[in-house]
Amino acid sequence: MTERRETSQPGDFQLQLADLKRVLSLALARGGDFADIFLEYRTSLSILMEEDIIKESSETVTLGLGLRVIRKDRTGYAYTNDLSEEKLRSVALTASAIASARAGQKFPFPRVRNLRADKDVARAGLVANFRPLKDKIQLVERAYRSALNHDQAIKKVQVAYGESLQHIKILNSEGLLVEDRRPMVKLVVMALAEKNGRRESGFCGGGGRVGLEYFKRELTPETIGQEAAREACLLLEAVDPPAGEMPVVLSPGHSGVLIHEAVGHLLEADFIRKKTSVLWNKLGKKVGSEQLNIYDDPTRPGFRGSYNFDDEGSRPHKTLLVEKGVVRGFLQDLLSARLMKKEPTGHGRREDFSCWPLPRMANTYIDRGEYDPEEIIRSVRKGFYVSRLSGGQVEDSGQFTFSVTLGYLIEDGRLGRPVRQATLIGTNLDILQKVEMVGHDLEFGWQTGTCSKEGQDVPVADGCPTMKISRMTVGGLR
Amino acid sequence: MKAASHDLRKLAEKLVQYGRKLGADEMEVTLYDGREFNVDVRLGRIENLVEADSRYCAFRLFKDKKVASASSSDLNLSTLQALVRKALTRASLTHADEFAGLPAPARFKVTEDSLKLYDPEVAALKPQEKIKMALTTERIALEDRRITNSFGASFVSNELRTILVNSSGFSGEYLQTYCSLSLGLQAGHGDHLVEDYWFSSKRHLRDLATPEEVARTAVERTVRQLNPRKIKTQNVPVIFEPTMTSWLLAFLFSCVSGTAVYQQTTFLAGRLGEKIGNDLVTVIDDGLLPGRLGSRPFDSEGVPTQRTVIIENGVLRNYLCNTYAARKLNLPATGNGNGRGVVPNNFYLEPGTTTPDEIIKSTRKGFLLTRVIGHGLNSVTGDISRGASGLWIEDGQAVYPVSEVTIAGNLGKMLQNIELVGNDIRFESPVCGPTIRVGEMTVAGK
Repeated sequence: MTERRETSQPGDFQLQLADLKRVLSLALARGGDFADIFLEYRTSLSILMEEDIIKESSETVTLGLGLRVIRKDRTGYAYTNDLSEEKLRSVALTASAIASARAGQKFPFPRVRNLRADKDVARAGLVANFRPLKDKIQLVERAYRSALNHDQAIKKVQVAYGESLQHIKILNSEGLLVEDRRPMVKLVVMALAEKNGRRESGFCGGGGRVGLEYFKRELTPETIGQEAAREACLLLEAVDPPAGEMPVVLSPGHSGVLIHEAVGHLLEADFIRKKTSVLWNKLGKKVGSEQLNIYDDPTRPGFRGSYNFDDEGSRPHKTLLVEKGVVRGFLQDLLSARLMKKEPTGHGRREDFSCWPLPRMANTYIDRGEYDPEEIIRSVRKGFYVSRLSGGQVEDSGQFTFSVTLGYLIEDGRLGRPVRQATLIGTNLDILQKVEMVGHDLEFGWQTGTCSKEGQDVPVADGCPTMKISRMTVGGLR
Repeated sequence: MKAASHDLRKLAEKLVQYGRKLGADEMEVTLYDGREFNVDVRLGRIENLVEADSRYCAFRLFKDKKVASASSSDLNLSTLQALVRKALTRASLTHADEFAGLPAPARFKVTEDSLKLYDPEVAALKPQEKIKMALTTERIALEDRRITNSFGASFVSNELRTILVNSSGFSGEYLQTYCSLSLGLQAGHGDHLVEDYWFSSKRHLRDLATPEEVARTAVERTVRQLNPRKIKTQNVPVIFEPTMTSWLLAFLFSCVSGTAVYQQTTFLAGRLGEKIGNDLVTVIDDGLLPGRLGSRPFDSEGVPTQRTVIIENGVLRNYLCNTYAARKLNLPATGNGNGRGVVPNNFYLEPGTTTPDEIIKSTRKGFLLTRVIGHGLNSVTGDISRGASGLWIEDGQAVYPVSEVTIAGNLGKMLQNIELVGNDIRFESPVCGPTIRVGEMTVAGK
């Protein structure tokens, strides 16, 4: 297990193209329609600060290969982190078990086309993984101090820094060869405030497919620290949430989670072709307000959900999902696109080499509308304003929730007292029609989001302008 | 897997020696060697079939009370040695922490055999038989005309060997198996769909629920939600089914984890010895229950696992601590270490004597909680707020399904307010409990 290579190299994986072609040909020798190899080499680093000290750091190396064989709608998958020839042959045989023909069919390998990105979606001048550790420790300490010094009520602060650099190589049986390098960084702060025996926590973060210069130009560690502290202090003054149906106004940026849950997941093509999504038969049909224009765009520079190629080697496209309330498209990976006879949209993603690709979101957003955000708030006599969200969840039947960490009461068209912890619930077909006003202030949430589906986590971003929903159930205590 | 085990243990020992030679005061190496099988079938056909072997290595080292860790799925010795060198450099740039370090060497007295962690039947089961179990489960469910679509059935099995070697002289390993059978279904037509699933997961094949049992339960759980109503916002008793009690207990676990306690991110910090629940509430963590999913002879740091009473008749008795949290809090380590965190072993609410039927029958008006979605749990305050579906109870009977509501409450108040504890604990997950009835929660709807 240890004698094969001197050391693992990023990028070339010590495997020749001829080796990979041979493995794919073997994988198709039992009559599969398609096969691909996904090679990954990733190095990640995390740093944690709490109780005034840099408490620890951890480095992770991920090296492995996943091989998939598709026969009609069946997928055979095998993976390994041992890249020896013997092991790769056994992986090919395992993955091909879903094809039924007798082994020994000849597969003529087509000419290999090597695709490269014309323009890198990553905006990493100073790729974090190549920078000295002390620069990163400094970022962590600056964020820590600014949170702690923000207010006397702040009692504890935790700062976590994470970076990764993923090298991928994809070869498929149609001759497509793609290689890419994907950097990512993230800095998050959790601040804990305490006053009169009451404790509350606040959170803020930033990052994306960017380099360390991001923390100088776009979002400083000080801003991140102060925002987390500010939220914790605000919550000390917050009241329990109201309970029941009422008009809801969503803040720009953070509320993008709503569209991720209420629309995005239900337009992922696997749920569409299996007819489990309540939207499976809604292409070309009006499902929501005229003001709703929804996109998923994996090509936004520097964004957490962006990539040059998806995890199947497809070039991603900005994909129109909903236009003036009418469903216009789905998020496709290769398998669903093939079965549905549609074009892939470049949304086939996987967590790592041990996972097969699924149709996933990247950067999902509601496009800007025409209303002034202040006018939207003014239009509500009594309601609920959603300021910060910590996440959401959806069922295929369309019922979804999201968790509000900080909200405000709206009283006579103005924001009133801050409100803590509430859950909002609705069904998507109902809520989409109740979108009454869409603001002109499109923003994106913090670049810290992760989406989970079938046990696979991938980085995502989402965004939206200020929006008003005429009625929605707020799950509170009063 | 015997020969592989020998090689891997050698590799772990080699790395410990390498780290010590380069100047680490203490060093701990863990190696995992796993084998996974997973088949998903849907509408009578195989959809996905996965088989894989994978290994990875994780280590921690300490120098001058400074810690650094690393992990790698590349087990090439030179890669691992480079990681050790880099970890030593990183350690030198972090701050000294007087509480950091390995636990004192301890002997663990149980083995994988006495804990019944390994089932040779799972290891020997042929792929064709696993596929058949998944197919049979789904077929039985689809015979019911009320089921209109399927998310598919899955059979998963794995074997995992864990090897731990450290510079204090600890050297141990164990082999474990896991298998599960699950099914997700959809019922209803047009835009009015409902969904649910059921599963069984065990270490031993003979303990696993049969395809019939999984299918029938999944069907029953799905169709009982058809034609739901939305209810008015009100405060009522809420009955938690066992799977619902499980998430409530998982939330309780996060509030009694020693890490959260020293970080002060739990409302239960500083409250040992206090009566935090009523007499019906006894919660145990036990890593030594033979054959259970959360059992293991020792934790990730080599601390022997044990039975720890968390709450005894309402009184908070212990927090669950890894070595670090234990030192911070001046409490004993409980064998719940997991990397730098704390995990439950078998963390459960002691069952009572009431049957779930009796609990429902004795409820005049209430909400039987069967599903939740969303993540509204805040350990700092104990606040709970989640999307919910369930059945409305009137005069001791389920009268109609309810959906699109939320439940809200506070864990601290709920522990004081548990009125009935059922006798139906299943041990299908490491964190589990029986049916319970909580006095009053806010159910928000219209």
